[in-house]
Amino acid sequence: MEDIEDDEFVASEHDLLVSTVSKLDKTQHIREPTRNEPTNRNTEFNLFKRSNKLDLKSVVKVLEDTSHHVKIAKKILKSQNASTVLPKPLEKPVADRIKRATGYDENKKKIGRWDPVVARSRTVDYVSFPLKHTSTKLVPTKEFLSKFKLKSPLEKELDEIEPQVIEEEEEDNQIYPMSYEEMVEHRQHLAKLRAQQSYNAAKAKRQSKIKSKKYHRILKKEKLKQQLKEFEELQKKDPEQALQKLEALEKARALERHTLRHKSTGKWAKNKLIRAKYDKDVRQQIADQLAVSRSLTHKVQDNESSDDEVDNNIVIPDVTLSQDPKNPWMLQRADKSNIDAEFDFGYKKYLNHKMYKRQDNNSDSESENNQSTEMNILKESISRITHIEHANDEIVKDVVKPTSYKTLKKQRNKLYDKKTSLSVVATSSWKVEPIVQNSGEVNINLSAAFDSLEDEVAVKVEQKLKRLRAEFENSNPSAKKTNEDPQKETDNIEYLKFKNKKTTPIIDEALIETNNLSTSEDVNVLKPACTLLEPTVPQNTSSDIDPTRFIEVKPKYLNSAIPNIDNENDDLDDEQVVPKVNIEEVFEEDDVVDSFRQEKEDEINKDKPSDIDLSLPGWGSWGGKGVKAPKRKRNRFILKAPPKIPRRDEHKGEIIINEYKDPKLASHKVTNVPFPFASVKEYEASIRTPIGNTFIPEKAHKKLIRPSIITKAGTIIEPMDEEELLVPKNRNFKNDNVIKLLAKK
Amino acid sequence: MMKVEKKKRYFDSSESVENCESQNDKVEVFNIKIDASKFKPDKQFIKNAKRPRGKSNFPGKAPVNEKKLEHHSRGEGLESANIKHPLYSARLKKKENKLIYAQEQAARSEILLTEEQGSIQTDKTISTSVITQNIIKDNIDIAAATKIFELNLDFGPYRAKYSRNGRHLLLGSQKGHLAAFDWVTKKLHCEINVMESIHDISWLHVETMIAAAQKEWLYIYDNNGIELHCVKKMDKILRMEFLPYHFLLAAVNEFGFMTWLDISIGEIAGHYNNRLGRTSVMTQNPYNATVCLGNSKGVVSIWSPTVKDPLAQILCHKTPLTAIAIDNKGMYMATSGVDRSMKIWDIRNLDGPVQDYRLRSSPVDLEFSQKDMLAVGLNNVVEVYENCCMQTAQRPYMRHKMAKSITNFKFCPYEDVLGIGTNKGFSSVIIPGSGEANFDALESNPFQTKKQRREAEVKALLEKIPAELITLNPFEITQVDVPSMKEQIEAKKNLLYLKPKKIDYTPRNKNKGKNNIARKKIIKYAARKEYIEQSVEAKKLLNIGTEQNAPKESYGVLDRFVSKSNKK
Repeated sequence: MEDIEDDEFVASEHDLLVSTVSKLDKTQHIREPTRNEPTNRNTEFNLFKRSNKLDLKSVVKVLEDTSHHVKIAKKILKSQNASTVLPKPLEKPVADRIKRATGYDENKKKIGRWDPVVARSRTVDYVSFPLKHTSTKLVPTKEFLSKFKLKSPLEKELDEIEPQVIEEEEEDNQIYPMSYEEMVEHRQHLAKLRAQQSYNAAKAKRQSKIKSKKYHRILKKEKLKQQLKEFEELQKKDPEQALQKLEALEKARALERHTLRHKSTGKWAKNKLIRAKYDKDVRQQIADQLAVSRSLTHKVQDNESSDDEVDNNIVIPDVTLSQDPKNPWMLQRADKSNIDAEFDFGYKKYLNHKMYKRQDNNSDSESENNQSTEMNILKESISRITHIEHANDEIVKDVVKPTSYKTLKKQRNKLYDKKTSLSVVATSSWKVEPIVQNSGEVNINLSAAFDSLEDEVAVKVEQKLKRLRAEFENSNPSAKKTNEDPQKETDNIEYLKFKNKKTTPIIDEALIETNNLSTSEDVNVLKPACTLLEPTVPQNTSSDIDPTRFIEVKPKYLNSAIPNIDNENDDLDDEQVVPKVNIEEVFEEDDVVDSFRQEKEDEINKDKPSDIDLSLPGWGSWGGKGVKAPKRKRNRFILKAPPKIPRRDEHKGEIIINEYKDPKLASHKVTNVPFPFASVKEYEASIRTPIGNTFIPEKAHKKLIRPSIITKAGTIIEPMDEEELLVPKNRNFKNDNVIKLLAKK
Repeated sequence: MMKVEKKKRYFDSSESVENCESQNDKVEVFNIKIDASKFKPDKQFIKNAKRPRGKSNFPGKAPVNEKKLEHHSRGEGLESANIKHPLYSARLKKKENKLIYAQEQAARSEILLTEEQGSIQTDKTISTSVITQNIIKDNIDIAAATKIFELNLDFGPYRAKYSRNGRHLLLGSQKGHLAAFDWVTKKLHCEINVMESIHDISWLHVETMIAAAQKEWLYIYDNNGIELHCVKKMDKILRMEFLPYHFLLAAVNEFGFMTWLDISIGEIAGHYNNRLGRTSVMTQNPYNATVCLGNSKGVVSIWSPTVKDPLAQILCHKTPLTAIAIDNKGMYMATSGVDRSMKIWDIRNLDGPVQDYRLRSSPVDLEFSQKDMLAVGLNNVVEVYENCCMQTAQRPYMRHKMAKSITNFKFCPYEDVLGIGTNKGFSSVIIPGSGEANFDALESNPFQTKKQRREAEVKALLEKIPAELITLNPFEITQVDVPSMKEQIEAKKNLLYLKPKKIDYTPRNKNKGKNNIARKKIIKYAARKEYIEQSVEAKKLLNIGTEQNAPKESYGVLDRFVSKSNKK
């Protein structure tokens, strides 16, 4: 007893010691309660609180005595290891969501199979119901008969020998909703669905648990890569959608740019900034972020436009271009509404001036006096030509810098225009044009340029020029001896009007003497006189082309019969004596044409809107007879009438076409374009053909008026079943646009 | 040897076997390794099997003549690609295919027009105008020869008109004699004397009704000569024209009043004064159902029932007009004046004159046949000109002299016959090739039975065109009324929260280069281009001896330092 007491004592002592020592540590140690022997003292302190887990290991420890026991122990441990804990079920909303998502996908797929069927039945001309019909194809008689065979005598005998077995038909064909195979399939399908669902759930759960930033980063990158891949694929397949996607990406990028995600102003960045002073890695991180932000905010530049800019930089001074009224390229400029006014300077002004002067001269023309003035004008013009030539040379120099073949060609064209545009009027009745001295030079320069680039091109150009020259020679042989007879060249219709006015150019020796240029040049100057008035003539004629001039019909005198019976012979005996009068002469005095013209004029003026004068005469200024309102007032108070619309009969001569709007007719006309059409032209094209059988063949008429749905009377129309999916015409329906459109709905 | 051209019948199987064998000699044999893929139904193959192309026994439908196809074309079709909505685009494409099919079918069915146009064949030395009716009569079959006949009647100048199918003839004389008969069988329907002067006569939509413009009023008789109506709203009528598709009887009276009577409902569709005075020159344009009047000032004016002003006026002659005629397609109009001239106008474009003829005397009447031959009546001679619109005719195709003066004449539809109303009766002459050889029985049938006539009457009434649709351009109804559409859209734009529709207003028939402005521009541009080319070439030719400017001083590498201003 004592020993025991001692032992107890010692033990308690020891415990105390341990606890006091451990108390020194000042940290609380919660000891795990241990299983004690069952006691009567059931205090709350002895209860197991934390876990009622059975530690198998400790249990197994007991089983160590026999080999059999050891085996059992091992088995137990193994079973412990093998058993897995079932995952905690997902929360209900999440589970539901997953269920819905998978269900939706499944159903979408299922219903999507019908898309082509629906699309086809919508686009097709007509649908006839019932959809299934037994084939009415007639089998040829021969074939039909070949199926029937007479029994051979042997067969007949055999039949007699064999007792006939009366087959009992099984009447108990219970109708199940599904066959066995179908049921198995259905169950398998359901199981698969469930499994899929659980996989998805597990995956979602697992992924949502992951906190690793790195993982997410990688995920993000992967996603991006995937997107990029998809995009590239889409680009190949469906560029339109790719474009949309690109736009979406652009938008996302713009949003990101808009936010301050990668700036140094965020919370994260600020924190990092503090640490950046000491930590190299952090510095690196911040730098990366900033780089990202910079790359985002960097403005996207068009690479393509840069090339054009370079091209545009070559500005060619278009001095002569702008001064040429005949240049079609100049006229095409829409923004320059008032070219004449704008370019009425320099040589053109001079030209106009001269033209006016010329007219004046003509009015009081005395040939002797005139010639001297003409001479003067000629001199002036020649001196002017030299000026222009100088200018031209410079332009050529500027231009011929071989940049590329294309630009060269362009410039060359322009040069030609310039050449053509150089024209100066010299005398009253004819025009002197400068010979383009530089054209040869241009050729040389050009060829030199081409030599450096491509010899072939130069050769081609030469050939072309040769050909053109030959053509020209063919077209007007008179061009060679132009100096002698410049008038002959004008065989054009345009020049018909001016035939009378033309006079031969007078070339005096005096001209050469007074000129400071060399004689050869002078001759050259005079040579182009052959072209005579040409730049002005076309415009003059074209401004008032009268179609009747072109469609002048010559009367044809027909050798028609002379009626030899005069009915009124008997009645009008005395009138036989009257000499025959030309009937035209009788009606000559009637001014039918003039009165008709007057009528036309009236008709035109009738519905011509006139200016409205809102000014009050005398208000704010002097009024009365002969007082003109100031310009400001006129501009402000006179409402200008809208510009007149050209009439249909404007150039038709003696024809009046009434331009009216018949309200009775208008009520029959269509005033809007119905839905699928967006243009008048398309709509009118769609109704261009009447569909009545008086206008088109009966067969086509029947085709056009066939109703879109045809039902067979007296038959039950069953709804479509899945067999319809397999019908080749449905399977082969390939109008993706329609399918997509209907699927979207 | 045994291959005689014999139609193979379905039971001639033995021959076909032989043929197969003989064909085998010509067949080249290829050794083809057959694997599973060969048995797969190839799509291409199936398509080809349905419609074999190229060299095959059954190459499919016969190709359609391009020209005929073009003839039946109704202009540019619809580009279904321009319709954005895919479903409607697909549907419209289907419809477009049907319209194309209609066109093709129409071109194909021309093969059914088997009859050929008549003609005269002579030696090249003899002109056809020499051939008289007697010669023709001697050289044709007896049935056709009966078409040459003469009626000597005593009641003064007669006017004659054929019914639309060319079977019946109506005669009305100045002295009141009115007669209707089937001129082929010479069966008389009725013959009465109205005891008044008759100024003009006309068949109505069927041959059972006749309109006669008498001294005071317009009367309508049936084919038994029973008076059906007396239209007192239309008095003192000088000339009448019946427009069959509109059921309108257009008439002009002595005082220059135009009256349009809708005979299907008995209402006046239009009544107004044309302010031309007394005009007895009137004709209808079959192309657009407008009525042309010619007045004493040489002006032809075109009228429609609902518009009280002329749609158009053309000054044709400087003297009073004597006759107007318009061809069946509405392309050309022939006018003649007292000045003995005859002009051809492009009435569709309102342009002209296309041709100007001078005759020996002034024509009394003009008339185009269905095949565009122009008959010209010169007091007692009828001359028929062939192809005188597009080309200038040199001489008449036919000439017929009579001993009586002409009042009017008409070509008989679907027959090569010209019926002439004269002062002493009526005479019918043959003009070979003047009539349309093929008739459309549903349109107008010379061999119509009573039942067919009734059927056609109902159908024609159902398809009656309203009088408002008579305009210069008969296709105006197929065009969208763009100005009022623009107005509507403008009005919609003012409404809040309403997105206006975007519509392309370009009309379908934009006459590119057809109007005068465009033509002018084209001429201008061509002239300018030509001028530029010429001058360029001329300069090039002339500058051979030109002096070259001395090359600028070169400093080699240092060239770039030369200031640019100095260069200049």
